[in-house]
Amino acid sequence: MILRDAVVAAALAAAVAFPSAAQDAAQGAALAEARGCGSCHGAKGIAEQPPMPSLAGQPAEFVTLQMILFRERLRDAPPMPDLAQGLEDGQIEDLAAHFAALPPGPPPDRGEADAGRAGEGAALSQRMNCGVCHLPTYAGRAQIPRVAGQREEYLVHALTQYREGTRRGSDTNMNAVMYGVTDAQIAALAHYLAQR
Amino acid sequence: MFRLSATIGLAAVLALPPLALAQQAPPAAPSWQQGRPDSMAASPLAPHAPRMTVTAPDRLPTSALRVPEGFKVEVWAHGAPGARMMAEGPNGTVFVGSRTIGRVYAISEEGGQRRVRTIAQQLNQPNGVAVRDGNLYVTAINRVLRYDGIEGKLENPGEPADLTAAFNLPTEEHHGWKFTAFSPEGRLFMNIGVPCNICEFDRDRFAMIVSFRPDGSDRRVEAKGVRNSVGFDWHPTTRELWATNNGRDWAGNEMPHDTLLRIRRAGEDFGFPFCVGDWNDPAASERRQCSEFAQPAASLGPHTAPLGARFYTGSMFPETYRNHLFVARRGSWNREQLSGYDVAVARIGADGNVTGIEPFLTGFRDEANNRFLGRPVDVLQRRDGSLLVSDEQNGAIYRISRQ
Repeated sequence: MILRDAVVAAALAAAVAFPSAAQDAAQGAALAEARGCGSCHGAKGIAEQPPMPSLAGQPAEFVTLQMILFRERLRDAPPMPDLAQGLEDGQIEDLAAHFAALPPGPPPDRGEADAGRAGEGAALSQRMNCGVCHLPTYAGRAQIPRVAGQREEYLVHALTQYREGTRRGSDTNMNAVMYGVTDAQIAALAHYLAQR
Repeated sequence: MFRLSATIGLAAVLALPPLALAQQAPPAAPSWQQGRPDSMAASPLAPHAPRMTVTAPDRLPTSALRVPEGFKVEVWAHGAPGARMMAEGPNGTVFVGSRTIGRVYAISEEGGQRRVRTIAQQLNQPNGVAVRDGNLYVTAINRVLRYDGIEGKLENPGEPADLTAAFNLPTEEHHGWKFTAFSPEGRLFMNIGVPCNICEFDRDRFAMIVSFRPDGSDRRVEAKGVRNSVGFDWHPTTRELWATNNGRDWAGNEMPHDTLLRIRRAGEDFGFPFCVGDWNDPAASERRQCSEFAQPAASLGPHTAPLGARFYTGSMFPETYRNHLFVARRGSWNREQLSGYDVAVARIGADGNVTGIEPFLTGFRDEANNRFLGRPVDVLQRRDGSLLVSDEQNGAIYRISRQ
């Protein structure tokens, strides 16, 4: 099967659902301020302390889905399920628009890259097709998160949870992808992605 | 012989090059990557994001929907994110299962309006809903819950009876969500999907349709080699079981076809992972003669994701629809040009053979822009003869009636 790049790109760009109700990033920013999201996730959505994930530049659909999973108590990551109680769908969509609009970047305490481990992670990512869903830049799309420049220890935590089956996304693909991946491989992947 | 649609001839099937199996690092993993050839390693196709937030009524794609002349389609209920499989109670309450959002809804008529209640939540993919003797059975992967006399306590359903241990279902999540329905004889039927895309698995545990007594006892195998059937019904006169079946991913845009199965004898084997009709899957672990297996009654198109399927037995629609099968096709992700995203009618002749597949409800797929506006998952005939269609993407249910 020959995939023509132009056709693929067009299909990728277009195969999206009808846009949801208009989201308001400004209202989301005000809500994030009122709820104190920044005390853990960073004032500009870039988490400055472990083990918090950065949210700046995450696809809005990803943030929305995770917040719904927290609110419905289907994803357990204290204290988020409690913090999400009472949020209306529209408020969640506003929050998602806010974080999606923030410029992404690495955390201020990111260390130097280890060429050996980063190379091992790059090879693993290539073999496991990470860049297919998360995109070659690892910027993510739709329900698939940005992993480029994410905090390294958070990536280790998340990938381990997928492997252990203690976390799932909007489907079970990540659980299947992580099946049988070793701790050392997870560490290499996390290091490579955190340095992107 | 498995009849392929006119656009995909047998020659095209035979012309497919043999697919090289991707060599992946994790050995023997139940991975979605299995069966994905090197030539497709860079394909950007991925499952579409579900929407778990409420879609406002004015954002529903209702005006884009099309039905044959003489019918009309309107919004029946909305504000039920992730709405999937439907079952109706004796008093007319429509129960609706879901997957990602973990809820079961009850939708009742009150003063000409529909009221949507969430009657169960925090469940793991509670796709299966079925009603018998006024009791609601909810199936969430391996959990089976029974809410007795549910329509009398919609405000406070209370704790259900937990039948999980009695059913003893596999706990695998991938393709582990259930379609459930009671047969005319009162047995609870359900699918047990294969926990991968294509892999080696125990063919006596997975890729089946099974049935139980309502208490979870007396498991019987109704069909084998069925990759994942998320919709079936019994022919109103022959009582044969008809089931939709989802083919695997990563075998190209045109293969394999999703299929409609007519199960003539309990325990028939439809060939997964070896064959789909007369197509011998090159990614299967061994070559088998496809003539060993029962053949599909019809193709429903490549990657169209046919799910809920129900025979029409009402009197509201013209006689020409009676005893024909409505099929909701949720629509493709593993195909560059979207396919499906509609409700079709499988026409079934007097001899029990499928004579054609016709579009019935269309407009969810915007062909020019290769995008979709909604994802129909199930169809349900109500007692008045109207047809409900659930739209998972928009959390809405449409009603189709005669004008």
